[in-house]
This record gives sequence, structure tokens and C-alpha cells, in this order.
Amino acid sequence: MLTFARRAFIVVWKDLLVERRSKETLNALFFFALLLLFVFQFAVGPDRERLAGTLPGLLWLGFILSGLLGLGRTFVVERENDCWEALLLAPGDKSAIYVGKLAGNLLLMLVVEAILVVLFGFFFNLDLGAVLPALAVVIGLGTVAFAAVGTLFAAMTAQVRARELLFPVLLLPVQAPVLLATVKATEAVLLGEPLGSVAHWLKLLAAADVVYVAVGVLTFDFVLEG
Amino acid sequence: MIRPIGGVTLAALAAGLVMAFGVAPREATQGNVQRIMYLHVPSVWVAYLAFAVVLVASIAYLGRRSETADWVAHASAEVGVLFTGLTIATGSIWGKPTWGTWWTWDARLTSVSILFVMYLGYLLLRGMIEDRERGARYAAVVGIVAAFNIPLVHFSVYWWRTLHQPPSLMKPGPGTMPDVIVAALLVNFAAFSLLYVYFVAKRVRLLRREAEAAG
Amino acid sequence: MADNWGFVLTAYGLAAVVLVAYWRRLVRREKELQGRRLASQPPRARPGVSEPLAPISGHPRSKPASRPPLP
Repeated sequence: MLTFARRAFIVVWKDLLVERRSKETLNALFFFALLLLFVFQFAVGPDRERLAGTLPGLLWLGFILSGLLGLGRTFVVERENDCWEALLLAPGDKSAIYVGKLAGNLLLMLVVEAILVVLFGFFFNLDLGAVLPALAVVIGLGTVAFAAVGTLFAAMTAQVRARELLFPVLLLPVQAPVLLATVKATEAVLLGEPLGSVAHWLKLLAAADVVYVAVGVLTFDFVLEG
Repeated sequence: MIRPIGGVTLAALAAGLVMAFGVAPREATQGNVQRIMYLHVPSVWVAYLAFAVVLVASIAYLGRRSETADWVAHASAEVGVLFTGLTIATGSIWGKPTWGTWWTWDARLTSVSILFVMYLGYLLLRGMIEDRERGARYAAVVGIVAAFNIPLVHFSVYWWRTLHQPPSLMKPGPGTMPDVIVAALLVNFAAFSLLYVYFVAKRVRLLRREAEAAG
Repeated sequence: MADNWGFVLTAYGLAAVVLVAYWRRLVRREKELQGRRLASQPPRARPGVSEPLAPISGHPRSKPASRPPLP
């Protein structure tokens, strides 16, 4: 059990170190998030009523688009640097690699999401102070689900020719229920309602998190075989 | 072996048609257009059956690496997508005279559409991987994820549509329907299930022959 | 109300067309495969046939040469 955790931690640490030195993914995603904001503003317009209605959806659209970009690369990086064989040859449970990658991707997505939330608050003039804890819970639960399936599918599509197409095509339909739950919950939270009022959505998200991570841990060995 | 199944299937489908048009009564509020239900509902039930088989076959493949399990998963997903598409199309055709619109985001149509896109992605994945063994492995993983996702899709869409909103015209199941209507549904479900078995059997045989030819 | 028989017939007709089309596709592909196999098959008496036509069991692993090259 301990070696599993240690192995997973090494993967996270490696990814963090690489990211800290190059900063390429985070920079690119930050810039992308900024661009999205401009596009959203142009698409939705200055009408504050309409904005308030579409805000939860736009926020999650932003998370998902950035997430697709970031997650899609997570195993491509390994291939580019000839680390792929090393990963395959690593002894023991390959699921530790999955957990490590998942943790790294989760961290990356949460950072980008935090930046997006701040930018949203700034550009659309929202007062997020009071709702921040509740919002954080919703975003946390939703992101775990996204990252769990995303990491698994990213490992698969990294080795396929048309990966930029296949990755979103596989991931997005699966994420539909999660997206539904998070948008509805975010909607309520942004209106200032307590988390209790969306308990069913939160339970769904928690269930999704458990299912996705479990399936990921159990099937990752099969994905990384060749 | 496959031909007799085909024969029985044809007979069952004929029986289904008789039930749908001859035996089942004209519905009180919607009129005869409600008979589309005897096509629409059995289709979706067979689709779920197909995807359940995909799950079992996928797990079997990962456990035993049996080529047959892989073929069954592939064939079942293909036929499942076929029936899912039919469900959506017939649902839409039923909806136009009933609600006045071709599309509505009611619980069933929305869930089924998500399923359709999920398993279409599954088939796309299979089509894009040349290496047979890897394609089988990856498809199995996706098949498992997709199947476990189905209940999540159901709950999320159902809550989305029914909370703070009156439920849609199409009830999720037989519920309080008169016996003769339930009977017609079941006969058509049996007929479509036989058709499913027939199609999967033929498709698996085709996959086996293609594998043999490729050597 | 005209009872919308048009819609009913469209729905059933569409289902019939789609299902028959799928069936015909399966039949056609099988005939093609049959044709190709008969065309490429040498005369029956062949003493030195080593590979059985169908894999015996399990899923053969791909040969290293057929896997995509690593960058």
C-alpha cells in the first residue's frame, strides 16, 4: 500500500517539477482561459440578465475546454520525451501511475479553474466572496470526475493517430451527467443558496467520482500494456 | 444455426406487428399515432440489453482475452447503436404530432441521445486503431466506463427534467398501463430481442471470418 | 384529427428500411469475404499447411513490427 502511494507520488512530483521548469502547460492554459472569457463576453453581450443566466454554463464550458486541452497532452508529453517505455517497464502496479497522473491533472485543472473563477469575477463584476466555499466544493467534485475519466482516456488516445479528435469525442459524452450536475449545482450556489439545496447533485457527483476513479484504477493496467 | 433464428425472428416480428396494429386498442388521447410506442419502447429496451452485453463481454475479454468476447462486444455495440438511433428517430417522429415539435429535451430522448453518442464514440475508437489486440483492449475499457455511466446519465437527466417541472408525457415504463398494451409491448420486445440475437450472431460470424481472412 | 397515420407509417417504414439495410450490409460483406476466400484458396490437397485457419485460443499479441513506431 505504501509503495503504491510512494510510486504515485513520484509521478506527481515528476510532473510538477517538469511543469515548474517549463511552465508551458500552465501558461498556455492561462492564456487560453483569458481568450475564452473574451469570446464569452462577445457571444453573450452586455445584458446582465442574460449573463447571469448563462454564467454557470459558461464557467463550466471554460473549465471543460481548458481541461480538454490540458488533459489531452498529459501522456503525449511522455511519448515525446521517450518516457513511455520507462512507464511501461516500471515494475509493480501500473495503477499507481494512474493515481499519480490523476493527482497531477487534478492539480493542474484546479489551478486553471481558480484562475478562471477569479477572471470571471473580475470581468463580469461578480461578488464571489460569500459563495466561494460552496463553489469550491462543487468545482472540486466535478473536476475529480472529469480528471478521472480524462486521465484514463488520455492514456488510450495518446497512442492513436487521430487523438485530438478521439479524446474529446470519447470524453465529452461520458461527462454529460457530470456537466449537468455541476452546472445545476453552480447555478444554485451562485444565487447564494446553501449546499443542502443541491444535495442530490452533490451525491451524484460524489458517486461519479467513486465510480470513475475505481474503474480507472482497475483498468489502467490494461491500457498501459503495450 | 443462424438461419433458423432468422426464421423465428421474422415470425416474431410479424406477431409484433399484429399486436401493435390489430390487437392493441386505439389510444384515447393521442389516437393511433401512439402505436409508434410499440416500435419506440422495445427499441430502447433492446439497446439497453445490447449495452449490458457489451459490458459483460468487455469484462470477459479483459479477464480471459477471448477473441470471441471481443467480437461479441463489438457486434453488440454496433447493433445497440443501431437500435438507439432507431429509438431517437421514432421518438422524434412520435413527438412531432404529439407535442408539435420534432425535438424535445425530455428525459428519455436526452438520455438516449447521450448513450447514442457514447457508443458511437466506442465504435469510432475501434475504427481508428489498426492493431487488433490494442483495439480490443481499449474498446473493452471504454465499454466498461460507458456502461457504468448509464445510471449516472439516467439520474442526472431525470432530475434535470422533473425537478421543478411536471414530468413529460411519455412515462418511463409500463406502470399503470392496461394489460393488452403491456402485452403488445412485450411481444414486440421479444421480437426485437430475437432480431438483436440474429444480428449479433451474423455480425460475430462476419468478424470471425474477417479475422481468419486477415490471418 | 387525421390520426396521423402518416407519422406511424413513416416511423415503421424508417425502422424497416434501416433494419433491412443493415441486414443486407451484413449479407453483402459476408458474400464478399466468401468470394475472396474462394478466389485466393489453392487446390484442396496441400500437405504443408502449418497455420490453422482460425486462431486456436486467446488473442494473439501483435507482432512488434506491426506496432506504431515510437517517436
